[in-house]
Amino acid sequence: MGASHYDFDRFGIIFRASPRQADCMIVAGTVTKKMAPVVRRVYDQIPEPRYVVAMGSCACTGGIFRTYSTVQGCDTFLPVDVYVPGCPPRPETLLEGMMLLQEKMRKEKARWSPWR
Amino acid sequence: MAVTLVKVSRILKGLEPTEIAEKIKEKFPDEVIDITNFRDQVSVIVKRGRVFEILKYLHDEPHLSFNHLQDLTAVDWLNKKEPRFEVVYNLFSIRFGNRIRIKAQVPGDDPKITSVVPIWAGANWHERECYDMFGIIFTGHPDLRRILLPEDWEGHPLRKDYPLKGPELEKDWEGFKELIKKSEELKEYIWKE
Amino acid sequence: MDKVEKIFETRELNVNMGPQHPATHGVLRLVLEIDGETIVKVTPYVGYLHRGIEKLGESLSYFQALPLTDRMDYVSAMSNNIGYVNAVERLFGIEAPERAKFIRTMVGEMARISNHLLWLATHALDIGAMTVFLYCFREREWILELFEKICGARLTVTYPRVGGVRNDVTQEVLDSLWKFTEEFPSRILEYETLIDQNRIWLQRTKGIGVISAEEAVNWGLTGPTLRGSGVPYDVRKYMPYDAYDKVEFEVPIGTEGDTYDRYRCRMMEMRQSNNIIRQCIEKMPPGPVMADAPKFVLQPKDKMMPITHPKEKHAYFIDEKLCKGCGMCMRACPAKAISGEKKKPHKIDQSLCLQCANCFVTCKFKALKIIPGGKGLSDEKLAELAAQPVPEEIKQASEYLIQHFDFIKKGPRVPEGDLYVATEVPKGELGFYFVSDGSGKPYRMRVRAPSFVHAGVLPRLCVGHLVADVIANIGTIDIVLGECDR
Repeated sequence: MGASHYDFDRFGIIFRASPRQADCMIVAGTVTKKMAPVVRRVYDQIPEPRYVVAMGSCACTGGIFRTYSTVQGCDTFLPVDVYVPGCPPRPETLLEGMMLLQEKMRKEKARWSPWR
Repeated sequence: MAVTLVKVSRILKGLEPTEIAEKIKEKFPDEVIDITNFRDQVSVIVKRGRVFEILKYLHDEPHLSFNHLQDLTAVDWLNKKEPRFEVVYNLFSIRFGNRIRIKAQVPGDDPKITSVVPIWAGANWHERECYDMFGIIFTGHPDLRRILLPEDWEGHPLRKDYPLKGPELEKDWEGFKELIKKSEELKEYIWKE
Repeated sequence: MDKVEKIFETRELNVNMGPQHPATHGVLRLVLEIDGETIVKVTPYVGYLHRGIEKLGESLSYFQALPLTDRMDYVSAMSNNIGYVNAVERLFGIEAPERAKFIRTMVGEMARISNHLLWLATHALDIGAMTVFLYCFREREWILELFEKICGARLTVTYPRVGGVRNDVTQEVLDSLWKFTEEFPSRILEYETLIDQNRIWLQRTKGIGVISAEEAVNWGLTGPTLRGSGVPYDVRKYMPYDAYDKVEFEVPIGTEGDTYDRYRCRMMEMRQSNNIIRQCIEKMPPGPVMADAPKFVLQPKDKMMPITHPKEKHAYFIDEKLCKGCGMCMRACPAKAISGEKKKPHKIDQSLCLQCANCFVTCKFKALKIIPGGKGLSDEKLAELAAQPVPEEIKQASEYLIQHFDFIKKGPRVPEGDLYVATEVPKGELGFYFVSDGSGKPYRMRVRAPSFVHAGVLPRLCVGHLVADVIANIGTIDIVLGECDR
């Protein structure tokens, strides 16, 4: 996604190393019970306005792993804005997900009403 | 150049696996319970008492030299066989290219066995995983604690009486229950459209 | 002069490189005890991606557990599948046909190239060479497109199946693969020109993470991590599987045991893999791609086509002279089209019949006849046609149909026993240990993951080096947390 073939930069999306400088968090891959508190902590560190994209079937609903240690979807402990399904999702699917997120941001009234 | 291309082939021909199993039976006649051969792979079932000595013999003998411990795991034979657990050592000899499997029987009410970390340093993490998944205690291990699951998890998942889907939410891991409670409390601050 | 004694005190610092970190590949947590900038002790914490694959494998059949193995080492999914499939075939006692073996070798080596490209991209990116990252991903996209042409999926393919492969490769795919192998050596040369003799690269990789041959064997390392220290152990040469005994290749062995030697080993392996793919394309024999073992493997369905996909719909008719009235077909029919009392000949209601053939395979008395092209005819006409002998194509196709139904209902007849089979994946040696109790599901499925063993050796490699070398060490042992935690 970041490399030249399916470039993210042309959409205005840059990867940042620190959550304090980010606007959106992509949860990619399976979330286990051991990792869940860490993901929640990273989410809490992102300053408002913040969005969450659940990428992949495992992040959306737990996927094929219906076991003792897998959280059945990251929306049990996070508010998710866009779900991108697939195992793994194709690069075009993730781009579509990001464009849907941009659409959603344009339509939101409550969060952005002072500026519109 | 530091790295060269080599035509690799096994030059040394050691003993056949069945002969190795016979040698073990000769040297430790009271410990060996059974020798099986399935699809050309030989396994030797032993009691757990002197398993450290047997493995040290296999490691040190110059014409056996099983210096590579490929795998250390356990099998749970709940209600099918007594004793309940079997700790399986898959050994390989890089000099001769031989494979052999040693299975040590461990009873369910006293799941203890000697650790082989002094012989192969790589057994460290394998034994921690066995303890995590089955609850078998390795005496003499330098740092026996859970590795794949959180340290305060209760229960041993790969035992046959542990449910696949895990315990219900009330009996689940403390950290996850706290997380769900916290996220419920913080739900009122989410922007509603 | 003794006034200048203890102006300040230093003590060791514990730093957490948490599971969420841009430099650790995946969710690996390290706690470093550092004295200034030098490392005293490293403790890795794994298990943040533990999904319980081994326990899940015990509740699924051998065929259903195949997609689970894709998701372990998600970077080179083909090799995991090949490892699993080889283990299950050994357990069943069947062998894949020649063409399938060559195809599996070919895609296994493509997976090796793709894995080493990703390894180089991330390793170089961590050490600081950003251009290599972009170049390597250009080649990797090419390989993923080729995977898509072969089987339809880019990353988590489930292409090698028990008994062979899923579908055949066309000549067009082989031609585009040939073009790739012609271009690829010049690309490897590009990467090497950038970093091989680069002063910064040499300073950051020479002498870092040194491990001697004996220690490496004692720790249980395998793959390029072991071969960089000078131990000539490669599963493809010691215990050849698939078509590796029919292709010629050499194995690169290092001398020093440091990061630079392991890097050179992997670069040379990429060239050897390229060579192997070319040999496979040249030597590919024609033939079937699925084993002919009806008791263990699902057979291709084209032999059953005369019954299941007829040009005109067949009619299923119960011959009243042969029917004993046992009621088995009545219980098997999903549309409840058969009616009749016990010990009296049954009758099929043609308007409800779905032509699903469930009754045909259940009848032991051969009373059920398939009349070709008979849908819509009246019962008397059907009785007339049923008296004639069975057409040849229906007879042949019905054999395969009965085998198919038998296999789906009862599953494979697996012998009891236990088995450990190892294959050489790009990261090391992947071993599968199966314990079977005679049923269609494994009693114990154990995956010996190379990344798990290599992550265990990290404390030994990092002691005495600087903090920045930890990143180089994580890169050189080439771990993927999906495989390490399973």
